[in-house]
Amino acid sequence: MELVFLLICGGVAVIASLLVIFARSTLHSALWMVLSFFMIAVVYVLLQAQFLAMLQVIVYAGAIMMFIIYAIMMLNLRQESRQKTGARISKIIGVGSLIVLFLELMLVSLGNNLTPIPGPVSEKLVATYGRMAVISNFLFSDYLLPFEVVSILLTAGVVGAVVLAKRER
Amino acid sequence: MFDYIWLVPVFPAIGVLINGLLGRRIEAINKNLIHWIACGVIALSFIVTCTIFYQLLQLPAAERLHQVTCFTWIHSGVLKTYVAYQIDPLSMMMAMFVIGIGFLIHVYSIGYMDGDPGRYYRFFVYLNLFMFSMINLILANNYLLMFLGWEGVGLCSYLLIGFWFEEEANAVAGKKAFITNRVGDFAFLIGMFLLFTGLGEHGVWSLQFDKVFTHVHLLTSSQATAICLLFFIGCTAKSAQIPLYVWLPDAMAGPTPVSALIHAATMVTSGVYMITRSNILFSMSPLAMGVVATVGAMTALFAASIGLVQNDIKKVLAYSTVSQLGYMFLGLGVGAFAAGMFHVLTHAFFKALLFLGSGAVIHSMHHAYHKVHSHDDAQDMRNMGGLRSKTPITYWTFLIGTLAISGIPGFSGFFSKDEILWQAYSSPQGHWLLWLIGAVAAGMTAFYMFRLVFMTFFNDCRAGEAAEHIHESPATMTVPLCVLAFLAAVGGYLGVPHALGGSNLFEHFLEPIMGMGDGKLLQDAATAVAHGAHHVVHAAGETMHAAAGHVAETVHTAAHAAAGHAEVEAHHGGHQPLWLEYLLMVISVALACGGIFIAYMLYIVKREIPAALAEKYAFIHRLLLNKWYIDELYDVVIISPLRGFSYFLWKGIDVGVVDYIVNGVARIVGWGSTAVRYMQSGYVQSYAVSVVFGTVVLLAYYFLKAL
Amino acid sequence: MVDNQSIYLALAITLFIIGAVGAICRRNAIVVFMCIEIMLAGVGIAFVTFSSANHSLDGIFMVIFVMAVAAAEAAVGLAIFLLMYRKLGTIDLDKFNLLKW
Repeated sequence: MELVFLLICGGVAVIASLLVIFARSTLHSALWMVLSFFMIAVVYVLLQAQFLAMLQVIVYAGAIMMFIIYAIMMLNLRQESRQKTGARISKIIGVGSLIVLFLELMLVSLGNNLTPIPGPVSEKLVATYGRMAVISNFLFSDYLLPFEVVSILLTAGVVGAVVLAKRER
Repeated sequence: MFDYIWLVPVFPAIGVLINGLLGRRIEAINKNLIHWIACGVIALSFIVTCTIFYQLLQLPAAERLHQVTCFTWIHSGVLKTYVAYQIDPLSMMMAMFVIGIGFLIHVYSIGYMDGDPGRYYRFFVYLNLFMFSMINLILANNYLLMFLGWEGVGLCSYLLIGFWFEEEANAVAGKKAFITNRVGDFAFLIGMFLLFTGLGEHGVWSLQFDKVFTHVHLLTSSQATAICLLFFIGCTAKSAQIPLYVWLPDAMAGPTPVSALIHAATMVTSGVYMITRSNILFSMSPLAMGVVATVGAMTALFAASIGLVQNDIKKVLAYSTVSQLGYMFLGLGVGAFAAGMFHVLTHAFFKALLFLGSGAVIHSMHHAYHKVHSHDDAQDMRNMGGLRSKTPITYWTFLIGTLAISGIPGFSGFFSKDEILWQAYSSPQGHWLLWLIGAVAAGMTAFYMFRLVFMTFFNDCRAGEAAEHIHESPATMTVPLCVLAFLAAVGGYLGVPHALGGSNLFEHFLEPIMGMGDGKLLQDAATAVAHGAHHVVHAAGETMHAAAGHVAETVHTAAHAAAGHAEVEAHHGGHQPLWLEYLLMVISVALACGGIFIAYMLYIVKREIPAALAEKYAFIHRLLLNKWYIDELYDVVIISPLRGFSYFLWKGIDVGVVDYIVNGVARIVGWGSTAVRYMQSGYVQSYAVSVVFGTVVLLAYYFLKAL
Repeated sequence: MVDNQSIYLALAITLFIIGAVGAICRRNAIVVFMCIEIMLAGVGIAFVTFSSANHSLDGIFMVIFVMAVAAAEAAVGLAIFLLMYRKLGTIDLDKFNLLKW
């Protein structure tokens, strides 16, 4: 059952991603991307990471994509110009080496039998508290400092965005 | 109280800090505060020293050694050095007279430096810094701390010679002193390295005196000779011996109290002190001792000959200092360490006195010239004369000093100088030639010193209209003169030799630090001979090996016996008859009196003769007047080639090779950068490609490695 | 037979590479930005896969923080695009090579 869902959702996500990079229109890219993110959220659910799935939908598919679409509208972008530019050779090299990288990574992850190292979150623990409870427990104890730092980072991001985008008078 | 020995160097250091950091402001408020602080810290130091000295005297002779460790100074690998002070008869004797005379000269400087506003505080800072370094040099219980003081006094010497640096000659003299001393310091340093590694081979990684001296027998005799010679080169620079004496006469460019304190009484004797301190080491090397004695005797004669014709009052005294230092080394070189140190002590008294006296004369002359706005040389004896009635205190004290240095019986110089001359003749390392040189130099000393006195204090004044303005110096200058005159007169009674019915207190006092006397030396020599015999016989053939061992043993035993005998004899005051000692004494006194008589004849009775003599023997006169052209010789032989070589290094090596390589590298980098800068295209995505490409290469590397 | 975990990893790698290709080849800055998000999503899947295999939450937290950083990045990045557009009238990355030699 899991495998079927995985194959369907993964396939859709990959196709949607390909469409993101091949779509002529920026807006179409953005919409394909929303689809891709939804599929990835399903994959997260399959991986027992419901909280992440929720975040994926809310933050990415909701907030960030809204943001991007809003920007596209605002900048009034249509299609890329097709003229050739000087960076062409490097792009060819880049795609070539990415293909090699793809093969290398596939070899690593599929060829070798990875043995897991058991961590602290056993099935029993999850069964006792529920997954969300365990996550929030860790988030507000062991990961408290990064959590707070991230909050500062977000504030700084907001302030920075406002300062940058503000029209100078 | 011994544990408070660290106070002795700390007090002058406090003086340096207060006057050095706040001096300008203090001087602006009240000038007197400066010298109250500077003299006060030395006085406190002196009080502590006296107390410790008194306590040391209370102890039995065998226990007069105390070491106080303050803190770890350097700890690096096997080297562990402490800032630690040693209290023993030698160091305390030195400390007593150095700090005592230092205090008197501090007081004297109050009067002498009075008319030098703006730099008054700096002078006292330098003097205090000098005292700090000198005390470290003296009290140190290891060579490294001693070297710290050694360098420190060299620095202060440089600073004070060039104190009036506005005149280029003074600055040049300072540089000359400093650079000449560097040569010696370098040798001293190398000597220390050799000593450290030489003993380190046997597991004694230390430069502490007691450890070094108890293990010194581990060194081979060639090692010991090398170390001793290197140490002695250090001494020739610091204590102005041939060939590195050239800086001392020029050092008279500094203020006169400085000449008295540093370049006559204390710093220049630190070489003598160092060799006396290392006497056990030097005893191991008869060759080095011979070199020391020969160089000392040569210097004594050589410097005295130059002193005969100089006209600058301080130059005469400078050459006499060099000459007297030569005496001290002569004494050390023949194994009479105590006699050498005794001469250091008496010399410190009378030479400080003479310099301060000459300073008083110069001070008076300078003021007189100042009054009449004349710019004649206040130090030239040809401008003086007849000062006897104008500056009576200076005259009488100066006369006492002159009598002392001339070796007139009853004054301090007589006892110490005669002890050295007697030892030069009678001790096992001595030689009649050494004695003869010393005696002749003594006669010359008497001549030129009385020449100085007669030219300065007798006859009519040649200062012209300035003559009536000459008057006695202030009390801060005359009181130290009187104290020193007293010491110069009676200081010699500390060490009246056996032959004159004395008990030679001084020598007995220093006995504990003279680890092994002549007997030990003979024993070493005998051991060496025995070893030599062993080797010779060994070379003769394998079959005779057993016999060789036997012979060597026999010779060794005999040598031991001889050594023991010699030791016993040495204890009984040598094997020379007593009448000989009296005879030699009489001869040297007669030579001194002869010198005085000739001076009297030439400079009082028939004053036209010197000029005539100079005319007649113009060549010799010019030779002496120009100091044997030694400076010029050094210039041609050493300085010019060195300059040429340096020029070659600059133009040929530095500019031609080093700079060329450096510039070449820069140029290559420049070319390379021009070539590769096109990689930085400014397109963000091509940078991303670089990252990807790098990742691929890295992963590929690990793949290939895993395969 | 390939197990589920390998399929997750393969998915993650594929997404990552697709995102990277887009990030390198596309010239529209906003599309490039989206491609980077895809790369991040791929990485996130790999993280969570390892996390669940290892019975650990570290991977999940990593992804949470990556999302937070991505949000901040989106805010600042889009502001920068806005500025670029105002200055030059385009956000074509091949038009920007101000920072060269």
